[in-house]
Amino acid sequence: MRGPNGGGEGGGGGRLGPASGPLHGGTLRALAELRFRLLLRRLRGSGGVPELVARIVLFAIAIPAGLAFAGFSGLAAFRAVRVREGLLASVPALALYFGVWQTWTAVGLSLSERETLDLSRFLVYPLPPWRVYAYGLVASVLADPFAVFWCLILAGAFAGAALARPGAWLLLLALAQLGFVAATATLVALLQELLGRLLRGKRVREVAIATLYVATAALLAWGSTAGRQGALRSLRVARALRWLAYPAALAGEATRELYAGRVLRALPWILGLGAAALATAWAAYRLALAAARAGQGGEGRLAASASRGWRVPGRLGPLLEKEAKYLLRHPLTSILALVVPALAGFVGWKVAPLIPAEAGEVIRALPLLGFALYAHLVTQAFWLNVFGWDRGGARVYFLAPVAPADALLAKNAACYLLSLAIFAASAAALAAAGGAPPAWALVASLALHAGIAPWFLAAGNAVSILNPSAASHTVQRGSRLSPISALAGMAIVSAGGVVFGAPALAAIRLEEPWLLAASWLVLGIAGLWGYRSVLPRLGRLLAARREPLLAAVCGDEE
Amino acid sequence: MLAIETEGLTRLFDGKPAVEQLALRVPEGAFYGFLGPNGAGKSTTIKMLTGLLAPTAGRAEVLGLDLGREPTEVKRLVGVVPDGLGLFDRLSGAEQLRLHGQLYGLARAEAARRADELLAALDLAGEAGKLVGEYSHGMRKKLALGCALIHGPRLLFLDEPFEGIDAVAVSGIRALLQDLVARRAMTIFLTSHVLEVVERLVTHVGIIRAGRLAAQGTLEEVRGAAGSLEDVFIRTVGEERTARPGLSWLGEAAGAPVPGTERR
Repeated sequence: MRGPNGGGEGGGGGRLGPASGPLHGGTLRALAELRFRLLLRRLRGSGGVPELVARIVLFAIAIPAGLAFAGFSGLAAFRAVRVREGLLASVPALALYFGVWQTWTAVGLSLSERETLDLSRFLVYPLPPWRVYAYGLVASVLADPFAVFWCLILAGAFAGAALARPGAWLLLLALAQLGFVAATATLVALLQELLGRLLRGKRVREVAIATLYVATAALLAWGSTAGRQGALRSLRVARALRWLAYPAALAGEATRELYAGRVLRALPWILGLGAAALATAWAAYRLALAAARAGQGGEGRLAASASRGWRVPGRLGPLLEKEAKYLLRHPLTSILALVVPALAGFVGWKVAPLIPAEAGEVIRALPLLGFALYAHLVTQAFWLNVFGWDRGGARVYFLAPVAPADALLAKNAACYLLSLAIFAASAAALAAAGGAPPAWALVASLALHAGIAPWFLAAGNAVSILNPSAASHTVQRGSRLSPISALAGMAIVSAGGVVFGAPALAAIRLEEPWLLAASWLVLGIAGLWGYRSVLPRLGRLLAARREPLLAAVCGDEE
Repeated sequence: MLAIETEGLTRLFDGKPAVEQLALRVPEGAFYGFLGPNGAGKSTTIKMLTGLLAPTAGRAEVLGLDLGREPTEVKRLVGVVPDGLGLFDRLSGAEQLRLHGQLYGLARAEAARRADELLAALDLAGEAGKLVGEYSHGMRKKLALGCALIHGPRLLFLDEPFEGIDAVAVSGIRALLQDLVARRAMTIFLTSHVLEVVERLVTHVGIIRAGRLAAQGTLEEVRGAAGSLEDVFIRTVGEERTARPGLSWLGEAAGAPVPGTERR
């Protein structure tokens, strides 16, 4: 027997054991077919065509962009291999890996939809779970347009190096690049599993994440203090911190040695990279397996008596109470409430002072205005998929004598209040770190936040009804929004940015700050009127589309 | 008076009928067992009668109200334990019940009082503060029943209330339902696969097969001379099936090589 789960006999066949067995070609084909059929079924279902278009668009952007960047990385590698030593050789090697690693990790943890196989569903089969996990990981990289983009950049560097100095050493360079891709992909998987575990409800863990975030930001800020001393300190900090990005650090060192022609000295780095990738993959797998076997973690007990609760009056009272409690109990809310104000504090402390006084009042107020918009942006997972977290509970809206428009209104009101709370905390942090803003800026930022909300929320309601998707109460595995909803979100936020950005341009040009608040107030009133007009129609649309909506959010729940 | 009356009720999925020309007659105060094999159209019928699915054709009257014209009024009068239950995982059991009552128009204090009583009656008082997502399947079923009852409906729809729960829970729910019927408190429309339990509970029976109503009437009328409901059911929905040929490999020794996986 072998494998971390005691899983399976080696090779390509033999007897099937009682609980584990080899993942031979047939099983692998079955898994691939399963993924393909699930994807096909999803694309053939309602909203499938837009999702297909979204995927094609993403690949259509990723491939030409990747090829363009591959040209740059190839040119840099060509020069580096030719000069062999010095900054011109080492900087391109290190910059390539650190740049790719940083963006890969950032996108992997925030935007990218990682379509891993749900391990818990495969535990019942006589398959070694670690192979199922590995298969899911490889497939998720191959299906990710962002990964294709980064791999093209790496391939460009390889081609540049090969043109500069053909030879057998290129085999080791290829190994270093493959090791880098494997280590980065597995590190992203590990971080996703860790985040998933950390974000599974316990408040103390959320505080720990926020503390880690704030500490890192503070460390970077301390290291980036202006002046010569600051630059040296920044270099020391970066040098000490580089091993946190060990896939990039190890691949960079190996590549630097290879560019210089020191093949033997590159070997330990390549071996280290392979070992690191394996260790990371093993840790990620163990966490995924533990989560699959344990199911969802407990969250303790809440108020025991039915008589406790909030006294929200009116016809919307119970709906609003339910929505507010749902939002407050979502781990993403706790993270946002801690991290966004921390980010605002950092911006107030380090970024805002860099804006020169002569830039003008409006420009100096841009960080505050930016956070008014950002508070809506970070909550779009909620307002673009308003029924996603209700899962089976969504049936209640259609079984109970509740007007569909009221359900939407309550969801929107709760989401707006959450966004407002995040903005208020961020504005306070910004003011505490960077000084109090002028009164006009405060009024303008509140007008922007309130004025843009009806536009976003009305559009979000339409997206939520037309493209609903089931969402779990964790924030891992990119399960927050479907690709088409994410694209719709980008379009809505961009359009809102253009419409509400125009007054800002006018205010800068005319040097009249109060123009901002007035314009956004007018736009907000227009938005509110529009929201009130479309809400009954959206309610009717919701009632008419209850069947596909319930199929999407309730399906797969048991 | 009839609690449910349908005429030509039909629902098509992709042009294929799931329920076809259904003509249900459920008397008020009856305990109506709606039986049928898997995929016969039981859940589709309940979904149409509770407003989760729109009928493709036909009409339905519930408690004298036209479901198509007065859906909200109908909803006020009925309670539903739907297939899949319809619970909010991130509310506690107590919150779920109280908010459910408020959504049906109860005042907050009254909803809270009834929620506490229901939690006690359903043996869930000790778990009232726990999130619904952490409830066992049986507890979720009981809570869903509590939600369906909290506003005092005149008609209760129960879709497979005994599925996947243990004998003790079945006994508790059965006793509660028997008590409700004995007090003539409401009409109950129930689907279930557990024929023994159904036979002990219901006063009226309807049997659906391939989307069409195959039999309907009081328990005695439907049972006739056949003796047991199970005999009638099997005779109505299909012949009794015995072991079929072609599964001889099931008797082979465990661990024998599976064809196609031998090491080459």
